[in-house]
Amino acid sequence: MFIEIKNAKKQYGTGEAAVFALAGVDLTLDKGKVYVILGPSGSGKSTLLNMVGGLDCLDSGDLIVDGRNIAAASKKELLQYRLEDVGFIFQFYNLIPDLNVEENIQVVSEISPKPLDIDEVLKSLEIEQYRKRFPKELSGGQQQRVAIGRAMIKNPKLLLCDELTGALDTKSSYAVLKFVEKMNQMYGTTIIIITHNEAIADMADCVIRFKDGNVASKVDNTNKCPAEKLNL
Amino acid sequence: MKLNKRYPRSIRSYLSFYVSASVLTMVTLLLFFLFYTSGTGVQKYADDFAKRNNRQDAQFETYEEIPDEALKSISSKYNVVLEKDHSVNIEEPDGKRSRIFKESKQIDLCEVKKGSRPTNENEVMISLGYAEEHSISIGDKITVGRKERTVTGMFLRPDYLFMVENESDTYKNIDDFFLAVLDDKTFGSSFEEPNVIYKVIYNDSSKESEFRKEINSSYSMLSYLDADVNGRIHYVYQESDTYILVSWILLATVPFVAVVLICMILSRKIRKEQKIIGTLSALGYKPRTIMLHYSIMAIIPGLAGGILMSGVSLLVSGWFGKLTEGSFEPMEPDYSVPITIMLAGVFLPTIIYFIAAMLVTRKILKYNTVTLLSGSVGTKNAGKKIFTGSNMKVRTRFALRSVVGNPGRSIVIFLGIFLGSAIVCFGNAYYDSMAVLADNPQSQIGSYKYRYYLSDYGEGVYDDKTDVLINASFEAGKDTTVNVIGADEGCKRLNIIDKDTDDPAKLNEGWYISTLAAAMFDVGVGDELSMKNTLTLEDKKVKISGIIHNDYDVFVISSRENASKVTGIDPKYYDCILSDDSIDFENGEVALIITDKTAKKQMEMIADDFGAVIYTIILLGVIICIASLYVAINMMINEQSANISMLKVLGYKRSYIDTMVLRGNHILLIPGIILGLFSGAWLMKFFSDELVSVTEMIMPVEITLRTSLITIAVVCVCYFGSLLILRRRVDKIDMIESLKDNRE
Repeated sequence: MFIEIKNAKKQYGTGEAAVFALAGVDLTLDKGKVYVILGPSGSGKSTLLNMVGGLDCLDSGDLIVDGRNIAAASKKELLQYRLEDVGFIFQFYNLIPDLNVEENIQVVSEISPKPLDIDEVLKSLEIEQYRKRFPKELSGGQQQRVAIGRAMIKNPKLLLCDELTGALDTKSSYAVLKFVEKMNQMYGTTIIIITHNEAIADMADCVIRFKDGNVASKVDNTNKCPAEKLNL
Repeated sequence: MKLNKRYPRSIRSYLSFYVSASVLTMVTLLLFFLFYTSGTGVQKYADDFAKRNNRQDAQFETYEEIPDEALKSISSKYNVVLEKDHSVNIEEPDGKRSRIFKESKQIDLCEVKKGSRPTNENEVMISLGYAEEHSISIGDKITVGRKERTVTGMFLRPDYLFMVENESDTYKNIDDFFLAVLDDKTFGSSFEEPNVIYKVIYNDSSKESEFRKEINSSYSMLSYLDADVNGRIHYVYQESDTYILVSWILLATVPFVAVVLICMILSRKIRKEQKIIGTLSALGYKPRTIMLHYSIMAIIPGLAGGILMSGVSLLVSGWFGKLTEGSFEPMEPDYSVPITIMLAGVFLPTIIYFIAAMLVTRKILKYNTVTLLSGSVGTKNAGKKIFTGSNMKVRTRFALRSVVGNPGRSIVIFLGIFLGSAIVCFGNAYYDSMAVLADNPQSQIGSYKYRYYLSDYGEGVYDDKTDVLINASFEAGKDTTVNVIGADEGCKRLNIIDKDTDDPAKLNEGWYISTLAAAMFDVGVGDELSMKNTLTLEDKKVKISGIIHNDYDVFVISSRENASKVTGIDPKYYDCILSDDSIDFENGEVALIITDKTAKKQMEMIADDFGAVIYTIILLGVIICIASLYVAINMMINEQSANISMLKVLGYKRSYIDTMVLRGNHILLIPGIILGLFSGAWLMKFFSDELVSVTEMIMPVEITLRTSLITIAVVCVCYFGSLLILRRRVDKIDMIESLKDNRE
């Protein structure tokens, strides 16, 4: 068991405006697998991702990643956790506009304890030729590939993807998902993908559905298909 | 309109910006207001006081006394008020010096400020400034006219608002000199031969020349002193003019830079809102409505700063005014800010911010809505591509690129550093100037220890330990006198070194002018200086052959023969002696003694008196420095919030984030301070040049090591202090919220 979430609760707002983003979530995830979390807006899936990624803290409950209780970690420990163990990919890429492709990846490799080779990463993501370009000079799909490169350069144990194809066209979406899948295969990275797109669920080892701040279902995907075969 | 609900929300969101921008607006305007109200307050008080107490237009002395009957007939003929003024100078047993008056009845009336007039020989009324300085109260006994008398009152006179003992003095003396008034009977019986001078008020100024000519021809005028050049009167106006001038110079520079800085920040804030502007535009809002919306947001710091400034100036203008009054007799000026000026102070920056916001919004609205919604307006910049081939660490490259690649933002921070440095440097340079003035007078004036102005002419030479001079007062320029000096070419005790050649001036060959006089009358070598003999009113011209470095005295100098042709004084005579040693003259032989310590002491007193004002400038400079840097750095952190949050997500330590986001701007510190130092020096030079005619002295412009170090230290403390305070904002940036904001 790689990730174990026990009775995780998170509330935003108070009184009548209180929203239970996580209402006592219990969940276990295994190492090296691809998980797709589906659910309507406000169901708590992004909140869960933020908690797992160490961006936010639970109000109560436990969140154990690779034997370490993230819910009880200090700010410093969370920082170290994000630096060493977690890679993020966001819907809107969140690249640093003042840095070019190579630098956006180097900005992580420079502080990572065991970074991958940047040339290899650029090559595997097929963005080698854009290494001196700035984010504004790239298409959405290209930018998302840079974001994948930035997330993967540290060789994280866990890759968290928040609506990674939400801003992309179909062709770019295929390409991006293909690279995510490739990372999982190459490095054995555990991947959690949050999406509204039901079709992406087909590439998962396990599909989790969220509703009203809790897990509605968790189903192993016996008909897993490669990303390029998805019906996006 | 629902949009109005954004105003309070915007204030809450950008509270630190609004507060610091308001403070910056307030402080920069406050500098102007404090100096302006101090200057105008004193001037108005002096004007009212002069009117109330019939201040003289001029005073003069004659060789022959004017009979009382003649006074009446001349008064009638020339439509003047003419009155004899009787006084005696007494060296009291306790070392103090009193000038005892018979109270005037028509001109320069004594205004009793405390107590009452004396009524018998045992009573005396003394000048208020001396009484306050020495804590003398009504009923106390003091020695006046070598007799112990009871103080019954304290007074001010319009011709002694600036208490100088001798006409040539430039600074007050209330340490050991005071005025006293005895009742008429006591004065008459105590002093048989008092000094007599005449005071005049011209009811018809067109008859002034004729009046003076008749007095000179009939009674041989010994001296004539117009009120406008009488230090005891005009220094009050001179000093208040100085403060008014300072206020306008400050208004034209400091608030200008501050307003530019705030306008730039406002512009960038509005540009950052381009997606909202695009959304409003897409929703069908008219451009005029959107422009108005952002313009109203922009007036908040102007209005708040202006109102704050009005409140603070009401609170502190009286206190500051008292600081600037140090040189004068105790006065009660009204330092309230004129309502028109106050309204201008409130509305001027407000209008500027309004217009700036309107123009920026209009410019943004020229882009199509799709471009605005993508947030790509103003994101292209070639500067971002620098250092791409460098081997520097990415975080160093990022730091440098964010400085070079964001020129607008860097200019704002640079302006903050520059503005603070310039003001702090100016304040300290002012202080240094006063110190240099106090240190150097004798080296520029000459090597003599004593300068005696004689009551009557001497002939030939005095002795070999002295130099003798012809000295006469002339009017030149507007309300200014110039001393016309005749000296021997071998004169050793007066500085007569030609500034350009470093050789002794060739007095036999022409006229030389002091640097101060040259600056005041705007003349140089080859020019002619027009003058008018104060006594005879004859017009004279001298051609200037050279300049002598002397920033303290207003004079033209030539040989005694040349001076004789201008002054009419026989060249074999002299009326001024420069001596290495003290000379024992008979009583009445000397009209005035100036020692080598006089000038230094007076300059030191000026420096001390200006100290409080200078420290106020420096203090306000520090506040300006902090406020301007705070708004600039605050803006930078706001603009970088998305990058900061992403760096946090990536696991960047606080120190690394500081390096990337904050420390890059350190490179602006050095050029900002250097330019600030130069600008402070330039401001001081401009100030010095403008003040020459007002203060009748040249303030040397010297940026000393002390000033440079203080400026660097103050600006660095303000800069790093602001960074330290604002670092907390970096910590507070929420990763999730900032990333949400970063959507295209």
